[in-house]
Amino acid sequence: MYDKENKLIDSFTAGKISRRELLRGLGAMGLSTSVAAVLVNASATRALAQNGFNWKAHEGTTVRLLLNQHPYTDALIANLENFKALTGMNVEYDVFPEDVYFDKVTATLSSGSSEYDAFMTGAYMTWTYGPAGWVEDLNEWIMDDTKTNPDYNWEDVLEGVRKSCAWSGVPGAAIGSDDAKQWCIPMAYEQNNLTYNKRIFDANGLSVPTNIDELLDTAAAAKAVMGGGYGIGVRGSRSWATIHPGFLSGYANFGQTDLTVGSDGMLSAAMNTAVSKEYHAKWVKMIQDSGAPDWSTHTWYQVGTDVGAGKSAMMFDADILGYFMNGGDNAEAGNLAFSGFAANPEASAATPNIWIWSMSMSRFSQNKDATWYFMQWVTGPEHDLFGAREMDLVNPARSSVWADEMFRNKLSASYPGYVEMHDASAPGASIKFTPQPLFFDLTTEWAEAMQKMVANEIPVDEGLDMLAESVNRQLAEAGLH
Amino acid sequence: MNTISPFETVLRGIAITLVILFFMFPIFWIVLMSFQTNATILQVPPSIFFEPTLQNYRGLITGQLVTDTSSLEIRFMSNLFNSLFLSTASVAVGLMLGVPAAYAFARLKFRGSEDIAFTLLSFRFAPPLLVLLPLTIYFQQLGLANTYGGLIWVYQLIVLPLILWIVRGYFEDIPADIEYAYRIAGHRWWTTFRKIALPLAGPGIAAAALLAFIFAWNNFVFALVLASADKQPVTVGALAFITASGVQYGQIAAGIILSIAPTFALALYAQRYLVEGLSLGAVKG
Repeated sequence: MYDKENKLIDSFTAGKISRRELLRGLGAMGLSTSVAAVLVNASATRALAQNGFNWKAHEGTTVRLLLNQHPYTDALIANLENFKALTGMNVEYDVFPEDVYFDKVTATLSSGSSEYDAFMTGAYMTWTYGPAGWVEDLNEWIMDDTKTNPDYNWEDVLEGVRKSCAWSGVPGAAIGSDDAKQWCIPMAYEQNNLTYNKRIFDANGLSVPTNIDELLDTAAAAKAVMGGGYGIGVRGSRSWATIHPGFLSGYANFGQTDLTVGSDGMLSAAMNTAVSKEYHAKWVKMIQDSGAPDWSTHTWYQVGTDVGAGKSAMMFDADILGYFMNGGDNAEAGNLAFSGFAANPEASAATPNIWIWSMSMSRFSQNKDATWYFMQWVTGPEHDLFGAREMDLVNPARSSVWADEMFRNKLSASYPGYVEMHDASAPGASIKFTPQPLFFDLTTEWAEAMQKMVANEIPVDEGLDMLAESVNRQLAEAGLH
Repeated sequence: MNTISPFETVLRGIAITLVILFFMFPIFWIVLMSFQTNATILQVPPSIFFEPTLQNYRGLITGQLVTDTSSLEIRFMSNLFNSLFLSTASVAVGLMLGVPAAYAFARLKFRGSEDIAFTLLSFRFAPPLLVLLPLTIYFQQLGLANTYGGLIWVYQLIVLPLILWIVRGYFEDIPADIEYAYRIAGHRWWTTFRKIALPLAGPGIAAAALLAFIFAWNNFVFALVLASADKQPVTVGALAFITASGVQYGQIAAGIILSIAPTFALALYAQRYLVEGLSLGAVKG
């Protein structure tokens, strides 16, 4: 089956024919673009099989995965047959909607279930899973040449992203330190930057803002010309997820942190510094003047949907949210553009906080070495490249994929400014929170305080002082302050 | 003699219409949404005039969710089947266990009867998450994890107390003398239960079964924690339309219509039993 097609693809891999000739040839053989893409990658998989590594060491073993419903998962599933062919292993998976996904993960891990060998997770979650002993430190496998194939190239994973998945487990210790445990391996990640509606901006002579003051002015100007819409979309629900995208990215750009770590290792709230108060005041004013009328209910979904439907002129949120909204049957598909955003006029570049979808290995897995075979494949350069070129595995976590011309051209053709935004922001992209066990509680309280400030229930100064006091009290109760 | 004036009749008509509109409008709007694409649903301002499409229903039935950026396989019909199967089987098991137990608690006085009845009711007090984690461990040890049998068992936490306590009230409402008279005529206890108690408590049993079915249908967390993706009910499956790359409002609306259809049809069918049964319980004493 597919012998002729494979020969054609091998010719492409060997550089004998161009990609256009390849696709034309495969089309003539009656293959759809998606099938052709998987077959093209099968060629890369065959090349991987020749790298001297014993890919068949766990032939016949079944690995079970717990996956979140996401375009990254679509890419994984689309390429899975190639992994099975490469290793002779079987892979079974359960996909759950994101709304309930982490409930399922937490229930599975906390009960010590061995049902799943590996699962998708965010780096923040590993700050709970790691110290609880629910996930493995993957350094043990990454550093073992007998278990990791020679083409894995761990250093190829973007440094800020790679280190953001590693933490020593000591509250307040820097992520990615020398003694850090690698709780997860990045698959792809999202930076928080500006996505703006170029049609609206061009029609009304608006310029892309380059700092927080310009952001406030542009958002207000956009709102004035939007009719029933509003100027800027940012998240506002009472959740940790309100703090981590645009807000924290701008906050970090002023050198501000959520907590400070004393010489004794104790943590203290840092939200009520003078610089922080000034930034908060501007952020609150921006939402009051130009944000969504129902801002306090806005999550990822509302922020993205509104910019895609043309209800908001721009958003300061995940770049891949803008990527998704610039396609499909969204009213503004093709009109969205991207820009890195440094809130601080003194800063040389953006410093986006990031969210990373990654893979972790369950401590309760019965097939850890076999599971690592899957993990090194799904986070390896070959699958990352396939996902980025042919599917929506954006932003890929590997620098070699970002250097790939085919991928860059694909992005530049349909997503103006995306590549430039990424390249300018990536060096400063990392997790900006201080890792500690109360992360979710404290950031949720931060969002609650923000809601009160926006609703004018409490002045910004006073609200931040009260927040800092509460944070310090909770840290003290946990023995961390 | 009718003392209601024509003016009052008109006012009543208007008031009833307003109340119906108030309660039915969300359903009406959801029905409209189910025949629209995401683009028309999200247009500003919203409009009730649009070109209807069946693509949402087609997507649900064929199992292919077309998102803004890709096409995704979904299991909505499988989720719907799971809900139907789990709810029906759970209520059937609940009735088989609960109705005789309710009769026993109503008619027989034995040591600890109230304590046992209250213990069964207390299953309803405990937050599901509190019992789910230990249950997960037990289920794995017993081989019940990720099985329909295990789920039907754990669904008894929802349906059994409900059936037991509602039906017990109905049995207590039936004068015991009727049963005594029948037994004096030479009939055995089992025949009395079958021929006298059950038919008289029929409306109550129907009402309890319907309520138990609705509660079981709406359950979310048990299957989520205890079973894999292929055994999830529609309450979990419906969340598949909220994706990172966009919210599929049209398919959510179509999913709501399809998922309320079975309970709606059942409620319509059993309406007279339900009203009669609930009224019987209400005038106890």
